Amino acid sequence: MVETYHEINSRFRRELAELHEEGETLNFCYQCATCSGICPVFRYNPKYNPRKLVEGMLTGRKEELIHDPNIWLCTVCHNCTEVCPQGVRVSELLAVLRNLATKAGNVPEHLKAEVKVLLETGLVNAPSKVTVSRRAKMGLPELKTADPAEIRALLEHLGFVKLTAKEGKAVKEESGGGGQQ
Amino acid sequence: MVAGNSSGYAMFLGCVIPNLLPHLEISIRKVFGKLDVEVKDVAGFSCCPEPIGTPGLDITTWVTLAARNLCVAEEAGLDIVTFCNGCFETLKEAKVLLEHDAKLRSKVAEALSKVGREYRGRVEVKHFAQVLYNDIGPAKLRSYVERPLKGVKVAAHYGCHILRPSHLLQVDDPFNPVLLDALVEATGAESVDYFRKFLCCGCGVGNLDEATNVKMVMEKLHYMTQAKADCMAVLCPVCFRQYDVRQMIINKTYGKDYNIPVFYYTQLLGLAMGMTPDELELKSNRTKVDPLLAKLNGGK
Repeated sequence: MVETYHEINSRFRRELAELHEEGETLNFCYQCATCSGICPVFRYNPKYNPRKLVEGMLTGRKEELIHDPNIWLCTVCHNCTEVCPQGVRVSELLAVLRNLATKAGNVPEHLKAEVKVLLETGLVNAPSKVTVSRRAKMGLPELKTADPAEIRALLEHLGFVKLTAKEGKAVKEESGGGGQQ
Repeated sequence: MVAGNSSGYAMFLGCVIPNLLPHLEISIRKVFGKLDVEVKDVAGFSCCPEPIGTPGLDITTWVTLAARNLCVAEEAGLDIVTFCNGCFETLKEAKVLLEHDAKLRSKVAEALSKVGREYRGRVEVKHFAQVLYNDIGPAKLRSYVERPLKGVKVAAHYGCHILRPSHLLQVDDPFNPVLLDALVEATGAESVDYFRKFLCCGCGVGNLDEATNVKMVMEKLHYMTQAKADCMAVLCPVCFRQYDVRQMIINKTYGKDYNIPVFYYTQLLGLAMGMTPDELELKSNRTKVDPLLAKLNGGK
């Protein structure tokens, strides 16, 4: 097997550290892989390997990571953050990484669909005709949720509408998160 | 105006229960209707928004929409009670982050001001299990039990987003909690230990990697079966769907024979409080609850 060596730089880790209140904890990682050991996704799918993702963040492999579709495999169970012996906020930093991926247009299709519903209704599971009649049959009250126009306006102000409309470059299947623990 | 809202809670039902699992809402309303805690319908909540994809897209947006929901409760003068682990993590985490992170707070305040809202940080966020465990307490909860679930072995499943990240959520021990076990035992049932009790339901990975999600659910069902659990109790509608709906799909697709009825906790408590399966709309659960009911009625 051919090993690929990467040029190491610390720009990316500094960028990530600034994007989160506890982002500087990234620097405490000593690559023990306790996070990967407890990750429920890694147990079954080695393409998602938190230890390796953190290594990529530490060594500056920004371009590779933000275009990696596998960074979205996380269930956000936060086990990694809980067990890290160094207090690295692993799950939070991975969310920061995904924010950068989103800016680069790397967003999975199911989330694009979810955003569409959120922008239209202010909810991610919107009531259908079936729901409405089922609720009525069960004697449940009518739902009085937020005015979708207010949610849409808020999302416009936040730049979220523009952000999620971005198209990413075509992504390659195999990438940085995978491999051995 | 003072901090601390006293009379009852604003019900934050979220997106999943009202739209996809309204029968769970029946059990919530009926059970809380009999307890000494008032839960009120409040108009104007949006999606919490869900804590898996949304923070991945943009953390600031996630916290801002959550803060807007907190504002709605604040305007109603009520603390929030959530019925979904996802809603709980989002709202509670947003509240804590806004207390600690000044940069985030000012970004959120600016966005909210554009829609004429101001977040003051005066709302407490609780999961309904905390209301039952802390406000009422297992001992008093027992006084509502008319038909103790004697002899029933329950596999408690907490779900992730009520426990972790524990430094933000501050509910219970992240890997060795007692809350749900105590609530299960308050019904007269036995909470059984089983391997992989704290394995995630896998909802977050299901959309991208169905196979991994299925394996996670099967692993859990396997160990609950091995522990001879009669049923499962959950605190989250998303976990509920994973084990209730997906269990049926797994049995069909993979030729398995898992038979673990899944109960949302208020369904189980409702039964113990003497409500009938019909009153609780238990027929809408996909897993068959009949064997358990037969056991309760002294059959088999």
